[in-house]
Amino acid sequence: MIEPLVVGAVAYTPNVVPIWEGMREHFAESDAPMDFVLFSNYGRQVDALLAGHVDVAWNTNLAYVRTVLRTGGTCRALAMRDTDTTFSTVFVAQAGSGMTGPASLKGKRLALGSADSAQAAILPLHYLRAADVDDADLELIRFDTDIGKHGDTGRSELDAIDAVLSGDADAAAIGSNTWESIGREELMPGALEEVWQTEQYCHCMFTALDALPEDRWRPWVTRLLEMDWARAEDRRILELEGLRRWVPPQLDGYRGLFEAVEEQGIAATW
Amino acid sequence: MVILDLVRAVRTLSVGQTADVAATRNDLPSVRRWCEHTGNTLVGAKFDRAGRGRVLIRRGRTPDPRLALGPDRIPGARLWLYTNFHCNLRCDYCCVASSPRAPRRELGAERISRLVAEAADWGASQVFLTGGEPFLLPDIDRIVRDCTSRLPTVLLTNGMLFRGRGLSALYAMPRDHFALQISLDSATPQLHDAHRGRGSWARAVSGIELALAAGFRVRVAATITESRPDTIAALHAFLDGLGIPREDQIIRPVAKQGAAASGIRLTRESLVPEITVTVDGVYWHPVAATDERLLVRREIEPLRPALDQIYGLFADQWAHTRSAVALFPCA
Repeated sequence: MIEPLVVGAVAYTPNVVPIWEGMREHFAESDAPMDFVLFSNYGRQVDALLAGHVDVAWNTNLAYVRTVLRTGGTCRALAMRDTDTTFSTVFVAQAGSGMTGPASLKGKRLALGSADSAQAAILPLHYLRAADVDDADLELIRFDTDIGKHGDTGRSELDAIDAVLSGDADAAAIGSNTWESIGREELMPGALEEVWQTEQYCHCMFTALDALPEDRWRPWVTRLLEMDWARAEDRRILELEGLRRWVPPQLDGYRGLFEAVEEQGIAATW
Repeated sequence: MVILDLVRAVRTLSVGQTADVAATRNDLPSVRRWCEHTGNTLVGAKFDRAGRGRVLIRRGRTPDPRLALGPDRIPGARLWLYTNFHCNLRCDYCCVASSPRAPRRELGAERISRLVAEAADWGASQVFLTGGEPFLLPDIDRIVRDCTSRLPTVLLTNGMLFRGRGLSALYAMPRDHFALQISLDSATPQLHDAHRGRGSWARAVSGIELALAAGFRVRVAATITESRPDTIAALHAFLDGLGIPREDQIIRPVAKQGAAASGIRLTRESLVPEITVTVDGVYWHPVAATDERLLVRREIEPLRPALDQIYGLFADQWAHTRSAVALFPCA
C-alpha cells in the first residue's frame, strides 16, 4: 500500500473542506494517493512543513517566500494554478476621482488590506515605491481583518473598498481577483474606478522540502498536471479551486515579493 | 453596497449552498448582473412594501439535472405502476401497507398497456411494476410482455410465489429488456423474517435462485431498518455468492409511509419525483403511493398532463431548492 502524500492547506473559509476532499478522492485510486491537513493560518502551515508534519504545503506567495527564506532555499516549488500566474494589484478610487496612475496617489489616503496580504498590502507598497511613490507620500489606512490568512478571505480588501465608498479613504489596493469578483467597473457604474494596476505576479504554490524524496512527490505532481478541464470529474475540482489547469512553477513571478519582503523588513514568521 | 455584501456572503459558501443578503428592490438589477458575471444563482427575492428585503443567492450555477441525476433518473424517465395492492405478506414497514386483506385495487392489464404506451411516447425509458405482490395477478405474464414490448421493464416481487400458476407465469416472461427485483433484507433469516414473516427469507432466496437458473436478470433490493455496516456487508457478500452483480444490489432505508411506524420522513420538496400511477391517481414517488400529500393528480388517463405537470413542478423545484432534493432508491 502506498503511503498517502500529506498536503497541508489553510482553511480560510469553510468551503475549503470540499475542495480538499475532492482532491483526496481524485487521487485515491491512483499511484499517488494523498490526504490533507487543514491549518488555521499560514504561519502554522509553514511550521508544519518545516517540521515534517506535512509533505507538501499549499502556500500563498508570501508563505512560499517565507519557506524559501526559512529553509535557505532548500525547498522545491511543485505546481501552481494557471490563475496564480496572472495576479496583480489594482488601485481603485471613487468614480470621478480624476486619479490615474501611481503618481496620482501621492498625498492620498490609501486603504490597504491585511498586513500579511501580498496583493493588498505588501506588493502595493513595493510597486508604488518602484513607481517613485514612497510610503511617506501616502496616508496608509490598514485593515488587518484577516491576519494569518494572507488575504485569502478577501475580507480586508472589501473593508478597504468600503472605506473608499464611505469617503474614509481616497483609494484602496486590492487583488485583481477581488476586483473581478465585484465586477470591476461594470457592475458598480458610478461607484468605483481603476486608478492603476501593477504588473502581474504569481500567487499560490505547492511547496515541498528538498528532503522529500522525488518518488514521493513526482507521481502526485504528474497526476496533478494531468487533470483535464474537459473531463467532468476533473472539472468539478478545478472549478472549486478556481483554475482551468495546474501548471509547472513559474518562479520569476515571485521576484517582486522577495524584494518587497526584504525592503519592508517583513519577518520570516507571522 | 449590495455587491460587496454579496461577495462577503458567497465567498464562504460551498457550491450549492445558499445565503440570504439584505437588499432593496432597486438592487435587483445589480444582483442579477453580479450573479451572471460571477457564475452564481439568484434563487429568490422578497421585499416589503417599502422595497426593503432580502435576496437568496446560491453559490454556483444550477447544474443540469440530467448530468446531476443521470438520464435514467430525470423525472419522467421512470414510470412506476402499482399493478395491485394485495399481497401474500404483511411486512411491518410496507410503504403502502399491503397485506392479504388489503383491497386489491388493480390497475388492470388494458389500462397498464395504455399507460405504458402513452409514457413511452412522452419519453419515459423504463417501467417498474410493483404492488402489492404482482404475482398474485393471474395475467401478470401478459402485463409484463405488454410492457417489455414498449419499454425495458422491472417487476418487483417478494419471489415467494414461483410455483404452480406463478411459476408458469414466470417462465412465460421475456428474458430480454426485463428484470425481476426480489426483496431480501439480510444475509440470514432472522432480520428478514422479523419484518416479513417467518419462513419468508428461505422462500425468497429459493425464488432468487430459481429465477437466476431460469435465465432472468435478478436485482435484489433490501429494506434496511437500521444502518449497520456489518449486516449490510454480510448481505453484499451473500448476494455476491448468489451471483448478483453489485450494481443490482439495492440498499434502501425504511420510509415512514404506509405500515411503517418509523423511518425517513419524506416530502414532495425533499424528493426527486419518479412518476407513479396507482388506481387512485398519479403520485410524486412510489415510496409514497398512498400519501395524499404526494398525490399529484387524481385523473390517471390521459397520463400526459400528469407527466407534464410533474416535470414542470420538478423543474421549478430544482431551480429553487436543489440542495434539499434527494433521490430515494426504490429500485
